[in-house]
Order: sequence, then structure tokens, then C-alpha cells
Amino acid sequence: MLLLECPYCGKRAESEFHCGGEAHIARPETPAELDDQAWAEYLYYRTNPKGLHAERWQHRHGCGRWFNALRDTVSDKVVETYKMGEPRPDASNANIPDPAKVRSA
Amino acid sequence: MAEIQLTSVEAFDGLLKPVGDVRPAGVRVRERSTLALATVMVRKGRRADLANRFSDAFGCALPDAGRRTEGNDLAFVSTGPGAWLACREHGGYEFSESLAETLSGLASVTDQSDAFAVLSLSGPRVKAVLAKGVFLDLGDAAFPEGHAAATQCGHVGVTLWRRPADEAGDPVYEVAMFRSYAESFWHWLSTSAAEYGLTVERAG
Repeated sequence: MLLLECPYCGKRAESEFHCGGEAHIARPETPAELDDQAWAEYLYYRTNPKGLHAERWQHRHGCGRWFNALRDTVSDKVVETYKMGEPRPDASNANIPDPAKVRSA
Repeated sequence: MAEIQLTSVEAFDGLLKPVGDVRPAGVRVRERSTLALATVMVRKGRRADLANRFSDAFGCALPDAGRRTEGNDLAFVSTGPGAWLACREHGGYEFSESLAETLSGLASVTDQSDAFAVLSLSGPRVKAVLAKGVFLDLGDAAFPEGHAAATQCGHVGVTLWRRPADEAGDPVYEVAMFRSYAESFWHWLSTSAAEYGLTVERAG
């Protein structure tokens, strides 16, 4: 049984949760001024990394709250979970290559 | 026009019946049909005020996540951040009205007495039965009296909490689910408890 740590309820079975795709995607402030490409990138283009991935998860069959999780897409290990609105944590101790850092390096 | 007569029907009406070998039964079940229920959701930024109102009015603390507290003849179960399920024995429909008045301006109160069905489960094998449906550690260290959880049981969304042990010294749990899930839940419970034997106690 895979356990996920809800920031409100603690560790619970994965079957109580629902994944809502990539996290930290901000809606553009002025959608009407975007061209089709920029709007399409907001709507559809995702990073799909091999390694650490920040995702939105919902504790659907528990408290019902949404939160974010850092998950390694190779091992399916959830490194850290954190509340909505909190910044993406630095998971450099996790020993998993962070694609966000690899790209910027 | 003829006057309409409405008769209240319990959620598990006609469902609960003994299962398996009940000499003696491993699990005892009782429908908590006299429990009045209401959800309490705190207004934005008023949590500290709500906690003060709680201790003044009910003589109990606002339960933290995963906990249940008892006050003056009522109980509160935490169901999520800023949300609680309030229970009062024989509270009737007046319960949510008086609760809303007491918590006026600090929390939203909604009557749920007819929305939820609550079962009390006890007996020497109750943990073994719940372990078949709940993905939680129900051991005495991890889930003692006063602990509560919004979770699933037999794939039915439930709010589960633990009460003090009964006279026989057996653990007691109460399970609240949406009323329309009563039949599905009973299907899971009657199947899961069959090997230990299940008896039905009078509702109340």
C-alpha cells in the first residue's frame, strides 16, 4: 500500500487521493492579450519530466483539501507534500535529480 | 386536502440482522438513530474566536485534526481543516438551530441529522472487521479513544471515531456515512463480520 502524507490528515492510503496534474501553473493575468501559442502553452503544454515533478493532489476521500506533492516520476516516490500556496520546497537532499535545476544549470 | 403523515424511517431500517455464529458474537452493531448531527465550518480568520466561543459555551476545546472532543452533552468530530461534525444525543432538529445561534458570525452550521447514518460498532473482533475496510492503523497506540478520521470503509466515504470502551471492555467505534450508502455499507459489514458473528442491538 502506497502512503501519501496529507498536510492536514497525515499519512493515508493512496486510494484516498486524486492527482490533479502539474502544480505551480499560474493562470495568465491578461488572457485576452495572449496569442494562441501562449494560451495553448498555459492550457496544454506540460513539462513531463523524468525525475522530480511537482503535482497537485486532492485528499478526495478524506478532508477534501488540495495540496502539492513532489514526486519522483522514475521511482514513484513522493519526496514531500506541502500546502497550497507554499513555494516548491528545495528537495536537494532527496538524492533525485531535480529537472527544474538541471534545466537552469 | 388530506393531511400528509410522514413517518421517520431509520437509514438501516430492514437491513440490520444477525450474521454468522453469534454464540458469542465477535461484533455488535447498533444504529445511532437518536443522534442529531450538524456540520460546523469556521468563517475566514475566525478560528481563534471560535475556539474561545467553544470553551465558553460547551466547556470543551475545538478538536484538532483527527480528534473528537466531548462537551456539555454534545461532541465534535474534526472532519478536515476548519470543519467539524457536531453530535448531540436526542438533539432533534432544534440542535442545529441552537448551535447556529451560539456560533453566530464565527461559523456556518448546517443540519445533517437526515443526511448521515451512524452505526456504533463494538465487540471483541470489531478491529479485525474494520481492518478489512479501513486503510488506517487502528491499533490502540495509533488510534485511541478520542481519535477520529475522515476516510473510506469498504470504499464508502465515512467519518470514523473511537469511543471509550464498553462495559465488557471491548473497543467501540462509530461510523458516519451518507445515508444513501447504508445498504452498500451493510453489504460490506455483513460480509466482513460473518466469520466472527454479528449481533444487532436495539437502535438508540
